[in-house]
Amino acid sequence: MTYLARIGRQPWLWAWIAALTVWLATALFTGGQGAAEVMSAATTFGAFFVIVALGQMFVITLGPGNVDLSIPATMTLAGTVAMKVMDGANAMIPVGFLLAVAVGLGVGAINYGLIRFLRIPPIIATLSSSFIFQSAAIWYNRGLRIKPPEALADFATAKILGVPVLAVVVVLLAVVMHFVLVRTVYGRGVIAIGQNQRAAHLAGVPVERTRATTYVMCAVFASCCGYVLGAFSGGAALNMGEEYLLSSIAVVVIGGTSVAGGYANVPGLWGAALFLFLLVTMLNTFGAGAGVRLVLTGLIIIAVIVAASGGRKRDG
Amino acid sequence: MMRRIPTALIVAALALGASNQAIADTSGKRIALSNNYAGNSWRQAMLRSWDKVTSQAVEKGVVSAADAFTTAENQVTEQAAQIQNLILQGYDAIVINAASPEGLNGAVKEACDAGVTVVSFDGVVTEPCAWRIAVDFKQMGKDEVLYLADRLPDGGNLLEIRGLAGVFVDDEISAGIHDGVAETGKFKIVGSVHGNWAQDVAQKAVAGILPSLPEIAAVVTQGGDGYGAAQAFKAAGRPTPVIVMGNRHDELTWWKEQKDANNYETMSVSIAPGVSTLAFWVAQQVLDGQSVPKDLVVPFLRIDQDNLEENLATTEAGGVANVEYSLEDAKAVISAAGG
Repeated sequence: MTYLARIGRQPWLWAWIAALTVWLATALFTGGQGAAEVMSAATTFGAFFVIVALGQMFVITLGPGNVDLSIPATMTLAGTVAMKVMDGANAMIPVGFLLAVAVGLGVGAINYGLIRFLRIPPIIATLSSSFIFQSAAIWYNRGLRIKPPEALADFATAKILGVPVLAVVVVLLAVVMHFVLVRTVYGRGVIAIGQNQRAAHLAGVPVERTRATTYVMCAVFASCCGYVLGAFSGGAALNMGEEYLLSSIAVVVIGGTSVAGGYANVPGLWGAALFLFLLVTMLNTFGAGAGVRLVLTGLIIIAVIVAASGGRKRDG
Repeated sequence: MMRRIPTALIVAALALGASNQAIADTSGKRIALSNNYAGNSWRQAMLRSWDKVTSQAVEKGVVSAADAFTTAENQVTEQAAQIQNLILQGYDAIVINAASPEGLNGAVKEACDAGVTVVSFDGVVTEPCAWRIAVDFKQMGKDEVLYLADRLPDGGNLLEIRGLAGVFVDDEISAGIHDGVAETGKFKIVGSVHGNWAQDVAQKAVAGILPSLPEIAAVVTQGGDGYGAAQAFKAAGRPTPVIVMGNRHDELTWWKEQKDANNYETMSVSIAPGVSTLAFWVAQQVLDGQSVPKDLVVPFLRIDQDNLEENLATTEAGGVANVEYSLEDAKAVISAAGG
């Protein structure tokens, strides 16, 4: 009983309930036809959301005002650079990946530098740096779409028994990040800073080092997502990151992470990512017009967030 | 006094005669491009075409300058401020791809009042003093269905991939498609998703709705989304329907691969990004004193089974199929509109 009660208070529960409800509603509407395939597609596309949301979650957990708005531009830049350098050659796949990671390290360092040394608030710093990254991507390849190497594209779209390989990899990544969050000194430090930066500092948490690590990590995740998304969708496009700006934040918040910082959880990210994809799919399947769809999307997201934050023990 | 009037008249008559002469008259004129967005491959190709054609024109002395300016944020206020700056910098004509059909009307009116010629294209403005080079998007959507009615005499189910919700272009193309469906009476639209004219978004949306759909005979699209749709059908293990393509290199390449492998047939209809160069020549013609109707229509760039290879060969790898317009093309478009 107490175990059930404890589960019931978990903030990530609501995202999963919402995702399942929406999936069942879709399945009911179609009489069960294609329900498994829809879930398979949801795990594929949810994986991309989860990769960027993992980084965004750590950043948001650092406390009020911390958010990374340069994720779309970072994805575009990393995807563009990697695809152009690989130029479709299988042998260059590792080089492309290392370059994408290097782009992430560079982007993260610049973002943190703006925040720390020029004392620019993170929202402004990452928004303005994103113009630079986006322009760099435009300058580097003028919007030309270069195909990914065959082997990489096959990996990104591969399925085993109907389960996308990419989704399995990202689930493993999420498990690792869950332990980083709850079991490592770094992860506890992020949460402590989010709850009270001064107290964390007095308790011996290396505040600035933790913040630097977090912004760099977030940018590296965004870069990796750009690399994989480019491979998955047949090349990097200048607008490939566009929808990840708001969705990276939405996935974190719907997943039950506090937008004010200090409280985070990884399982909710997967629930929220599946939910966002399944919600659009459900409304498409119902044949709802664009206006109705957007209004309902907004209302449902608000409802889930309210439910999730109602279930959270803020004083615990 | 009496003797001076005829002299003045003669001078005026000479001046009038001269202004009807050839293009050399615009050699001192400066034309600016005010562009609201550069963040996709179509817009990049549009800017490259502008640069290529206008730099040749400047070299030949047709005009003295043709500079391109792009706003960073795709916002109406920003573009309005940009247009005001261009007026102050003394450009003789401003060619606009507008962020909004109505939002820039104030700034456009200011330009007209200052004696600046304003030519809008692609994203046109409604202010009456400006010229408009518009696309008949409705006809574009209808052409897709008319083609499909020929290809598939028995009709069937259609999946519609739309563009960006709430944008005029999306509504127009979609209305054309629905008109075509009503007119031919052979098809049924069984699903409709928004692909935002982007490969990855279209792929995601189609992958989501596909499992719940019956057999699809054809996919009607708005451009930039055909390849993503094809990928989604492949991933779902469904037979590939007739997918109407746009003008991206990967769409045409995929079509060519399918054509070689199994005689796959489809068509592509789109707007060439080089339409910016058509707008340039129209502005030059207006400055030249030619009579140009305010509303002009851009021809579509249509690719069919037999001219696919030819178009693919002239499309840059990873780019967009394109046509750049010449002064003669502009004159033909103007005379077709009754100018």
